[in-house]
Amino acid sequence: MFISKSMTKNVITINKDADILEAREKMDEHRIRHIPVITKDRHLIGIISDRDIRSAMPSKPLNDYKNKKINDKVLNLKVKDVMTIDPVTISPLNTIQDALVLIQKTRVGAFPVVDEKEKLRGMISVRDLLRAFINVMGMEDPGTLICVIVDEKLGQMKKIVDAITEEHVSLGSVMVARCWDEGKRAVFPYLLTQNTTILKRKFKKMGFEVLDPMQWYIDQQPKTHN
Amino acid sequence: MKKTGFLFDERYLLHETGPCHPETPARLKAVYQGIKDAGLIPKLTPIKASLPDLKWIRAVHDKEYIERFEKACLSGDSTFDCPDNRMCPETYKTALLVAGGILDTANRIMNSEIINAFCAVRPPGHHAEINKAMGFCYFNNAAITARYLQKEWGIKRVGIADFDVHHGNGTQHIFEDDPDVFYYSIHQHPSFAYPGTGREFEKGEGAGLGFTKNSPVLPGKGDGEYKQFIEKDLCSAFESFKPEVIIVSCGFDGHIDDDMSDIKLSTEFFSWIIKRLLKLADKYSNKRLISILEGGYSIKRLPELAKNHVDILINHR
Repeated sequence: MFISKSMTKNVITINKDADILEAREKMDEHRIRHIPVITKDRHLIGIISDRDIRSAMPSKPLNDYKNKKINDKVLNLKVKDVMTIDPVTISPLNTIQDALVLIQKTRVGAFPVVDEKEKLRGMISVRDLLRAFINVMGMEDPGTLICVIVDEKLGQMKKIVDAITEEHVSLGSVMVARCWDEGKRAVFPYLLTQNTTILKRKFKKMGFEVLDPMQWYIDQQPKTHN
Repeated sequence: MKKTGFLFDERYLLHETGPCHPETPARLKAVYQGIKDAGLIPKLTPIKASLPDLKWIRAVHDKEYIERFEKACLSGDSTFDCPDNRMCPETYKTALLVAGGILDTANRIMNSEIINAFCAVRPPGHHAEINKAMGFCYFNNAAITARYLQKEWGIKRVGIADFDVHHGNGTQHIFEDDPDVFYYSIHQHPSFAYPGTGREFEKGEGAGLGFTKNSPVLPGKGDGEYKQFIEKDLCSAFESFKPEVIIVSCGFDGHIDDDMSDIKLSTEFFSWIIKRLLKLADKYSNKRLISILEGGYSIKRLPELAKNHVDILINHR
């Protein structure tokens, strides 16, 4: 779960004295939105994003003579003129959970990964974290997701897993939505089978509610954190 | 003239899946009984199972996969590739007999002996990948038929319409880079149903880009949404593609009384969709349509659904 395992290691970088047009070309070519700005010895000094470049550009092309000066000025802008100095960074020894919390908190989409000597080691982006999420959800394996509502008390998960085991069904993943109705939890077992009918019946018989798919959600935030 | 073929063979009941499995011989018995009780058998051209030339199975599946399947089956294994795929010593041969029977049906259609047909077969096929059995499927019957029509009969454009409630991942993947086979599937949205593929942005790959179309439908929805998607997505796609033969992957498991999904289709819808597909076959494919049974697990509803399906095939002229 460490950032060092999930980050992009071959990072596209740029020098602070490069033109912003060069930065934009690199972003287009490599389909990225953030480029770390580093020194020759790979010390991180800033980050430039597509948004930084857009903000520096005039809102529409200025072709007339009157605006030539503004145009020239924009074209001569350097990376150092628009980059974010002192960006939020993360360590290779942080975890992907740390990154998720940091994204939530800072609303930044990608972080340079720097070691204790402030040297750039990689980049971690929302895209890398999504890949990890797709992996742990088992979404690449064929299966069926169901939702079981249980009381918030000890031993509920065991009952669910035991029932699944009794039916000889493999479990791809389990998500638990902890923020649900008062005293309840929503458990989402991802079952590696097409045949969920028997299990759904079994869960109902055990006194659990099998929730209608149109009522599912997993994105409620803990109330105390709002 | 009995212009509708009916492929059925009691040997298709020999593939046993054991207790608590939904894909049972009873399904096919229910399908047959519904057709028989309605007095439709004398109006049909009967077609029996036959063993195909293995080269047609190899036209879709890896040689290694076919051998692995045969070996697992003959060794007495009770499952193959995943616990969903239960089998018995007869499973491999039954799967072959299904493919052979459908190819015979295809020949009769191409020879103009019949114009359309319903293949009451099991095991089903649309989840089977090139080298993997999935979702009760071993050989991809629809895909084998499409390849056969291409190679043996020189058919240039094959249209496959799949209305089983689950996405036909196998069929899609087999043809995803083939611009000569258009695969259309309407199914319960993959976030809520097996196998988890068939999103609307899956449109084919490489040369086949634009020749796959998926209409995922949200749980709880029914006739209205399905009819809209069929008109908007399938009919317009086939209008530009102009298939020379239409293969139907016919699954009755989206019925409201079938508990394999959360889709709520009425009995009437299943009559509507086959009529709609026949109209497309009239328009583009010289009436040539082969309907192949995929899913459908409500023993209570299957007789009526199959009877209506076949009755419409017979009476559509």
